[in-house]
Amino acid sequence: MPNEWLAWPWLIPAIAGGGLAALALLAAVLRTPVYKHIVCLKYLFCGWKAVVPMVTALPAAIGVFLLILVFAIMNGFAYDTREMTRGTLADIIVDAHMEGLPYYDEFARRIENVEGVQATTPIIQTYAVIRVKPRYTGIRPIVRPCVVLGIRPAEKAKMGRFQEYLGRERLVKQIQEQTDAVLEALRASPGPASTREVQTYLILDILEAIDKAREAGLCSFEECALAVQPTVKCLELLRKGASLPGDAIREAARGLRSLRDSLNERRVAPEEVLTVQAGRRGDRRQGAKEPSGCIGGIGVIGTPMPHAVSEIVQAGAGWRVLLAFVAALALVVFLFVWQAGRRHRGRRLWRLATWAWAGAVLALALEATFIPVVPSRTERQEVIDFPLVDYGGDLVVSTIPVRASGALDVEAGGIPKVSSRVLTLVDTFKSGYWEADSTNVYVDFATAQQMAGMDAQVASDGRPAAPARASQIQVKVKDPARAAETVRGIEEAWQTFVRERPEVGPLHLTVNTWETQQRMILTVVEVEKYITALMLGAMFVGFGVLIGLISYVMAYIKSRDVGILKALGAHDAGVGSLFLGYGFIIGAIGTALGLSSALLMLHYLDAIELWVNSTLHINVFPREMYYFDHIPQHLSAEWCVAVALGVLALSTLASMAGGLLAALKQPVEALRYE
Amino acid sequence: MSKPILEGRGLSKDYWMGPSRLRVLHGVSLSVAQGEFLCVLGPSGSGKSTLLHLLGLLDRPTEGGVVFEGEDAFAKPKRWRDRMRNEAIGFVFQFYYLMPDLSVMENTLLPAMICTPALAWPVARRRHRQRALQVLGDLGLAQRVHHLPQELSGGERQRAALARALVHEPRLLFADEPTGNLDTATGAEIMRVLARLNKRDGLTVVMVTHDERVAAQADRLLRLRDGRLLHGA
Repeated sequence: MPNEWLAWPWLIPAIAGGGLAALALLAAVLRTPVYKHIVCLKYLFCGWKAVVPMVTALPAAIGVFLLILVFAIMNGFAYDTREMTRGTLADIIVDAHMEGLPYYDEFARRIENVEGVQATTPIIQTYAVIRVKPRYTGIRPIVRPCVVLGIRPAEKAKMGRFQEYLGRERLVKQIQEQTDAVLEALRASPGPASTREVQTYLILDILEAIDKAREAGLCSFEECALAVQPTVKCLELLRKGASLPGDAIREAARGLRSLRDSLNERRVAPEEVLTVQAGRRGDRRQGAKEPSGCIGGIGVIGTPMPHAVSEIVQAGAGWRVLLAFVAALALVVFLFVWQAGRRHRGRRLWRLATWAWAGAVLALALEATFIPVVPSRTERQEVIDFPLVDYGGDLVVSTIPVRASGALDVEAGGIPKVSSRVLTLVDTFKSGYWEADSTNVYVDFATAQQMAGMDAQVASDGRPAAPARASQIQVKVKDPARAAETVRGIEEAWQTFVRERPEVGPLHLTVNTWETQQRMILTVVEVEKYITALMLGAMFVGFGVLIGLISYVMAYIKSRDVGILKALGAHDAGVGSLFLGYGFIIGAIGTALGLSSALLMLHYLDAIELWVNSTLHINVFPREMYYFDHIPQHLSAEWCVAVALGVLALSTLASMAGGLLAALKQPVEALRYE
Repeated sequence: MSKPILEGRGLSKDYWMGPSRLRVLHGVSLSVAQGEFLCVLGPSGSGKSTLLHLLGLLDRPTEGGVVFEGEDAFAKPKRWRDRMRNEAIGFVFQFYYLMPDLSVMENTLLPAMICTPALAWPVARRRHRQRALQVLGDLGLAQRVHHLPQELSGGERQRAALARALVHEPRLLFADEPTGNLDTATGAEIMRVLARLNKRDGLTVVMVTHDERVAAQADRLLRLRDGRLLHGA
């Protein structure tokens, strides 16, 4: 998150501008007579009536808190959905649908000449039925509809985040992260019981991941066994309750590091992701020249199953936040009571009570600061997509080829001809974008072309009858912000191409950015976000009315003070601005409270969610429903600044009701009657 | 007689009660000399306070004008009148009019706070505070500086109000029934203070009252009835 904030191009000018504006405002405020500040602060914090501004600040705080929290989470949903969708697709999709685009390579080269285009790749897209024989006995074969996507892997890898979403790639990354986590946890040895439990869990977790890597063919059995042997020894010692000797930890670290480095070096190159490796279990086509592997979406080759998921949580984080809130609240109440009860200050009991209270606030603050946040393991039931096929397992994919004329291949009797292929599962695909994960099966471009009937047709006399076709050309642009301009360039290139190659024939080609193509899902999320913001924003109308009323009533009640100040030489505008300051400070208190609580909450969001889950047994965020492994959040600096400035401006404007009353009040009117 | 510090020329004041006009002052003219103790005596409703408000630049006359230290006050901008009230004029009211949320010290410092920017206050505060302590000490309130007005007796409140009116060393002090809300002894004490300020420090005092005994302590007496002066200024 901080990196994204730093990457914001206007951040430094905005900070500089904001700082200068704040300094100018401060200088202007400090040039005004001091009575305004003193009297305003007295009105705000002196005596029992100070409860009024405190209570008025609460709706502002709640509003700011909700607006920032909800917007950050909804923005996170929108942002993550966009990222996942965009990562699965490409910046621009030139779609020829199932009719297919002939001379696609030639047109792709022309697209590459369009300004702003970085790379292109043709894609085959056809609908199919997939049949999977699960690896477990007793489970019937699963048959599902799917979308077969023919790709040129090296080119496709340049389009979006395709490579990052592959199972083997994620596994290598996961093992790297887990190695760091295990090494860190082992270094903390000897530790409290919870740390021992965490160490055990982390070791078991990495052993499971390494076993998966072995199954995926990323490393051999011997290599893995050799690397994890010292770690397994550590695990045995931990289970016996013994402390870990330094030598054992160093050995384990060495083994894990060497495996991590070796896996990193052996990452599957993009052009080989669909290649079946010789000697792999289940590969019956050793030595085959053409790649016959496929990558199955995790939802296609898996089935949702309840699964106990262990997670490391920062135990104590929830309590820390709670205590910080209580300490802040106690401090506010303390300051208020201390101010309000100033006439009792001489009394011994009062002195004792205030010291006791101050001590309690300090103790709470210290407790909140120093309460140990210990990593701890927690377990929860989740529904995950459990793969039913091993790496190297067979999938039977059946399609109905459609020819260039639009005709289906038929067998004797006019029955459509079904083309079935046995493909080897070489990897899985999980983007988090359910639409793609539950339907997509990636195969080699040429294979998919044959399955879809889009390969080149040869007449009986050996002459070419129909050129090969592609369903789409995906385009990566240099600057995504200017994708719409590039779309126009591609459309012009298409018109030129059609004029020069009339044999392409009439074709309904659509050129869209990924956003336009996925507008249904993106628009829903965006609209939900803005409707929620609007509804929460409506709360502020109520807050504005409330603060307007409060400042008006305050100015009315204090009209004699207004008269006194004016009799002593205070200007009308000065006395009026005193009440504007009153509203501004209430808004500032509310904004500060709301903003800091929202940022604190967002910082500990996952920890709090897990804490609520494990302590109160309330499943706040069912992951299987949202298909995110954490509560998404994307906090925008602009939004925080806009909300804060909006509340400050609203509270100042609303308090003009009181300000005007005070400014227009004649001193003699205020002082005439007792 | 020394030159006048304040002159009221043909002062009239109308109040509107819905559509009907009520004239409470009818062309009052008077002059106050430097160092003079002038008392305007009149029954309740005679227009004493209205006259004081006009002379004290708190209100604008319907007709006529006020000349303060040779300047036509209502020909000057409002900011000038505000500055004069802050620098050159002090007010003491019947009901003290102390700000209830401010301590005696803070109330006394109010005129200084009104003319000092926040930026300069940390430096100026010490000087103003010393002056305030001196005035409060003179008025016997040295032990009450941190008290709130509601913790003081009536006499103490009026002395605190007097301290506020004197702290910036005004050239002219207006007192509107300063003893009207006090018992006889306390009222007499306040009058002794006013007389001392006039005699010892040469402070010009303009007081309005309905009490003949209080008025007797002034150098000069003007009687006001139904918005008209009975004796010439």
